[in-house]
Amino acid sequence: MDAALLAQVVLNGLMLGALYACIAAGFSLVWGVLNVIDMLHGSLIILAGYLTCSLWSEWHVHPFAALVPVGLVLGLAGAVLQFVLINRVVRQPVLTTLTLTFGLDMILYNVMNAVFDATPRRVTLDLGRLTFGDVVLPWDRIAAMIVALGLTALLYAVLRGSKLGRAIVAVRMDREAATLMGIRVPRIYALTFGLGAFMAGVCGALLAIVYPVTTNATGQLLGKAFIVCVVGGLGTVPGALAGGLALGVTESLGSHWFGPQAAALLGFALMLVLLVVRPTGLLGRKGYE
Amino acid sequence: MTVTLTRLLRTLGAALLLSAPPAALAQTLKIGAPLALTGALADEGRKQQVAYDLWLRRINAAGGVNVGGRKLKVELVTYDYQTNEQRASQIAEKLITQDKVDVLTAPFGSGHTKVVAGVAERYGVPVVASVASSESVFNQGYKYLFGTLAPNGGLTDALVKVVAKQLPAVKRLAVLGREDVFPKSMAASMADGAKRAGLEIVYSELYPVNTMDFSSPLSKMRAAKPDWIFVSGYTKDLVLARKQMADLGVTAPVVTMITGPAYREFAEALGPLAENVTSATWWSPAVALKSDDVFGSTQAFVQDFQARGEKGEPDYVHASAAAALIAVQAAVEKAGTLDKAKVRDALAALEIRTFYGPIDFTGNGMNAARELPIIQVQGGKAVVLAPEALRQGALRPVK
Repeated sequence: MDAALLAQVVLNGLMLGALYACIAAGFSLVWGVLNVIDMLHGSLIILAGYLTCSLWSEWHVHPFAALVPVGLVLGLAGAVLQFVLINRVVRQPVLTTLTLTFGLDMILYNVMNAVFDATPRRVTLDLGRLTFGDVVLPWDRIAAMIVALGLTALLYAVLRGSKLGRAIVAVRMDREAATLMGIRVPRIYALTFGLGAFMAGVCGALLAIVYPVTTNATGQLLGKAFIVCVVGGLGTVPGALAGGLALGVTESLGSHWFGPQAAALLGFALMLVLLVVRPTGLLGRKGYE
Repeated sequence: MTVTLTRLLRTLGAALLLSAPPAALAQTLKIGAPLALTGALADEGRKQQVAYDLWLRRINAAGGVNVGGRKLKVELVTYDYQTNEQRASQIAEKLITQDKVDVLTAPFGSGHTKVVAGVAERYGVPVVASVASSESVFNQGYKYLFGTLAPNGGLTDALVKVVAKQLPAVKRLAVLGREDVFPKSMAASMADGAKRAGLEIVYSELYPVNTMDFSSPLSKMRAAKPDWIFVSGYTKDLVLARKQMADLGVTAPVVTMITGPAYREFAEALGPLAENVTSATWWSPAVALKSDDVFGSTQAFVQDFQARGEKGEPDYVHASAAAALIAVQAAVEKAGTLDKAKVRDALAALEIRTFYGPIDFTGNGMNAARELPIIQVQGGKAVVLAPEALRQGALRPVK
């Protein structure tokens, strides 16, 4: 096969993988720390997409300018949601929290359907592309890649370097011990969920440039986040990145060699192989699987 | 005892005669409509609802449907089946057995139409489908199913004809189709029609329903150097595919998307990228017809649509849905009764001219093939390229 085409396919995979990492990072954090499977995650991303589209079509706010504000709005909403609702059942078995977030997701999904209707909309902005001979890289995907990497780095720095981050890690490691050390666990939970929702918000704003925003996509986004978490390892930020990139490249090469119908199949096959060979995921540590 | 019973019956009979019209004669024509008002097909379901409402207002303003000399008001019974196949079938059953509708309409799309048609067939209730065009729905031997759209093949044949005539240099076709009832059958009939016309198929793949990214198939397609790119799918897929084509520098003089440009949302979500994308459709408001239905003309239908506060112009889904009810009206009036078997026979024999175009159901229940409009987005609006008599512009190559 032609080398340029192969390079193009691999780069396509990496850029898609960065988006996957972006989609999964917040989901992984919430799952890893709170042990809550956040079924709302896909809908939160789409909600952020709608906000970005509306800002663009009503007030011509550039999506890049909207990244942080939209992220903050969702982050705040997420923190409140956790504090008021999810905290009440957070210590219950995982099925209880899953049922709650599933119910919340149905509410959010249908509210969005009613308010925005399901018509796909998009920020009609095209940033052009970068060309090296036969290899083409669209700028918005490059931007997505930078943001995904940046967010991952930022989250990593927060978890490693800040007091809040250490508290989150402490709660994840041992809730009782953290409580004894004077950490207010419900508050940390709320902040963690808020941080996850913030990541969903930024990701949604970014996706609104690349993808048509429609409520129909919520399930797909959630599905990708799931696979990325399992592949990359739960609760680790670099894991989401590794999982996203691995999935992106697998799908891209799979689609190229075996046709687009095989791409999704290969993604799940990758997940199954990892579950058998390395259940903690690529970068997961024992105890958080 | 016998005497009392006879007397009772006699009294009852007299009472019935006095309180004319007899109870056996219905007061309204009841039409049942399972609609996807929530879920994945919510937008499409709403389009059908809007069109039904436009027709309903017209017909009831005109006093109703004329059944054997009596004017019957029309009642539309609708339920939301939440884009859920199983619920669609339950609701069809409920409409027939509990609401006792005289006629049914089918929901959006070939898949769900098939489900509702199966139930209607079992009970012998005529069902008119407005948005199903795949042969696989109409080849089940159903006697009570009728559809206002023409077969898929008509769309692609018309396309090949226009392109061959206006851009004869185009020879290399790439086909990317969605693995789904209607888009898959469109992709197949496109490849088939192009081959018959002597074009070379340089790329042909199907993508699964939940595809989130087209970079891989598009990169492969670019390497095949097509001069005609054909993509079938629903609006979300097509918007994404067109956007990613631009991102990856995949281009060709002719870019056809089915059925994207037929919908206003396509051009809205794409902006300048929608320019010069071609499509084939069953109906366009640009095809102005005079008719003898309740609307009277295409223009009147468009005016009603806008007067209702709807955005932009109606598309083929609206028009076909209204046409389905026009067909019901014509059949009931012709049959002169609400008897389901007789209405079914009247539908089968129907031959009318509507604002949407001619309706003449063929043996399998589908509307007869006719010359279908080929459109292209020019200046943000769909412009008719063919048929010749309605032509508003020439085919422009994609830059």
